[in-house]
Amino acid sequence: MVRTLVFTVVLGLAVSLGQGCQRSPGGGRGAPGATRLVLKYQPLWGPPEPFRELLARFERENPGVTLVTEALPNSSDLAHQFFLTALGGGAEDFDVLIADVVWVPEFARAGWIADLSEAFPPEQVRAEFLPGPVEAAVLEGRTYAVPWYLDVGVLYFRTDLVPRAPRTYAELERFALEARAKVPGLQGFVWQGRQYEGLSCNVYEALWGHGGRALGDGGRVLLDTEAGREALAYLRGLLTSGVSPETVMAFGEEESRRVFQEGRAAFMRNWPYAWGEAQKEGSPIRGKVGMAPLPTVEGVPGFGALGGYQLAVNAHVSPERKKLAARLIAHLTSHEANLVLAAHYGRNPPRKAVYDDPRLKEQAPFIASLREMVERARSRPATPYYNLIADVLQSEFSAAVAGLRTPKDALQRVQRQVDHLTGEDR
Amino acid sequence: MEKRVEEPRVLEPVRTRGRRGSLERERRQAYWLVAPAVGVLAGVALYPILAAMWLSLHRFILVFGEKRFVGWGNYAYLLGDARFWSALGNTAYFTLVAVTVELLLAVPLALLLQRAFPGRGLLRAAVLVPWAIPTVVSARLWAWMFNPDSGLINRLLLGADINWLGSPGYALHAAILVDVWKTTPFVALLVLAGLQGISEDIYRAARVDGASAWRTFRSITLPLLKPALLLALLFRSLDAFRVFDAIYVLTEGGPANTTETLSIYAYKTLMRSGDFGYGSTLSVATFICVVVLAAVWLRLLGREEAAR
Repeated sequence: MVRTLVFTVVLGLAVSLGQGCQRSPGGGRGAPGATRLVLKYQPLWGPPEPFRELLARFERENPGVTLVTEALPNSSDLAHQFFLTALGGGAEDFDVLIADVVWVPEFARAGWIADLSEAFPPEQVRAEFLPGPVEAAVLEGRTYAVPWYLDVGVLYFRTDLVPRAPRTYAELERFALEARAKVPGLQGFVWQGRQYEGLSCNVYEALWGHGGRALGDGGRVLLDTEAGREALAYLRGLLTSGVSPETVMAFGEEESRRVFQEGRAAFMRNWPYAWGEAQKEGSPIRGKVGMAPLPTVEGVPGFGALGGYQLAVNAHVSPERKKLAARLIAHLTSHEANLVLAAHYGRNPPRKAVYDDPRLKEQAPFIASLREMVERARSRPATPYYNLIADVLQSEFSAAVAGLRTPKDALQRVQRQVDHLTGEDR
Repeated sequence: MEKRVEEPRVLEPVRTRGRRGSLERERRQAYWLVAPAVGVLAGVALYPILAAMWLSLHRFILVFGEKRFVGWGNYAYLLGDARFWSALGNTAYFTLVAVTVELLLAVPLALLLQRAFPGRGLLRAAVLVPWAIPTVVSARLWAWMFNPDSGLINRLLLGADINWLGSPGYALHAAILVDVWKTTPFVALLVLAGLQGISEDIYRAARVDGASAWRTFRSITLPLLKPALLLALLFRSLDAFRVFDAIYVLTEGGPANTTETLSIYAYKTLMRSGDFGYGSTLSVATFICVVVLAAVWLRLLGREEAAR
């Protein structure tokens, strides 16, 4: 998912320069006639050996193939920009690529990623993977990508400051204000309000929590709805009532995590990665953190936004390479690979069966405990227009959260621009 | 003291047949000599501009492989596009305030740098440091300093709780501050060059006449500095009008697009959304604004030159 702090971008760039084109060990140089298979991915941030071993195993099982990994910047926006220009220009220099859940419909419609239905029949994908990521990978009965790992929006809370996890928005606000009244200088609820994709995720979660949907009939992106207005009014209200500090308007994931981790907030909305950080040796809030599904209006467990990546095949490469690429994807998305990513990199498995594997509970108990939330995760609107309109949504959501426009005005403006971009107004 | 008298030199072409023929030849030769440069310019500057203009007449969305001629459709949408007008407003405001402040700060700074004092060379070099740091790096530094929780700025303001980059009223001004910090030294150097072009004799004469420091500044320094100031104005306002890097790093145009300039809007439309048609329309609109601005300044500068 998007951890779009610019310094992580810089870091990501540094990493991509450092290991920009890394030959995986084990395969060595390969025979002179060896096939080079290139995987374009984002660094997984963790010990390098388990992932290298995973790649090396593929080389051992497929003699004559040399795997090359090429890292992209750690920002979803920048990675998308790369694929937009590279695939748009017909690049053939990479075979397997990662795709954010929201890019798959776009790339599939553009004809940039190959139809994988033969190697991964849609029924089989539906049966083996969780419904959320499948929604983003199987389009109109064809498989275009295979889920690799998942991310989901969750609510963190301080077990020493609030009585229990809130189930409704009203409870969240009450608990936050009560905690603030008890502890001077404490913030209530921190989340991601900067104008970027993370804000959109927060808005979608509020929208779903208010009983809304972002897609109307026939796949039209429909946001100017009652639930949409309520969602934006709720987020704005968090700022005006003092539940959330005004500073969330400058927060991305890392900024909100830092405030929460220093013990200066009672609640935080974030991705699962923040758990590991909060529980690290020396963390001021170690042992005082709880995690729960996001609240809703009625109190049923809320829906976290689905993040994470899928693997797809570059449609411009030759048929033989496509076959090999599909084999690599099968290897990287296997049950065993899911376990490796969960145990060493804290990435949630998209395969249902992995959650029943006792090894998961043993090696990554935290990941195993996320099962319910991951199952309920919802994907942002699966539309080919997603990236085309994301920028419009971000700016109008930001205007509503900042109080520059009423939710009603902001959503009307969203709808007008979205309809123009998608051609609905013609 | 001896006054140097300049001989008036008048170049009258001697009209003889042979001479004229060689002049013609030289002129032709000159055209051939500049032709490669003109060719390169046409390739790298003119062609992209024309291509952007042509693209701006299309609905061209990269991911859909859709390219359709729509004539002035994009421009019609542009005129009704509230986001374009707010970006134009932000850009104009940014340029106006940043350049004004820079000029106001640069003149005293240049006067200071011109004085003879020990360590002047070192100071002159040191002043250039902000300008020498890549904007992306310095903007990142400032973003940390603007951090409302742990940033240096709020600490210096005795624990003020200002959300610099997150609130609509402050973010653009924070960006202006970063720009001023970065480019004032550059403007000061331009002004310094202008100052050094003013003959010391005039100041001596003013001192003999008993003019006050302020009077000397107003009646001598400022008028004689005018060409340098106009030049600085030209450079800086064109530069500020195309501002991209500082704002991209600080806010990416947020919150609520209050720091979105024309370049940021065009970049997002082109590179993030892949909407090449409308993105080109925005680029062309920016280009036209810059050309108009340049034309105005050059005219003023030309008038100034003519008056001298």
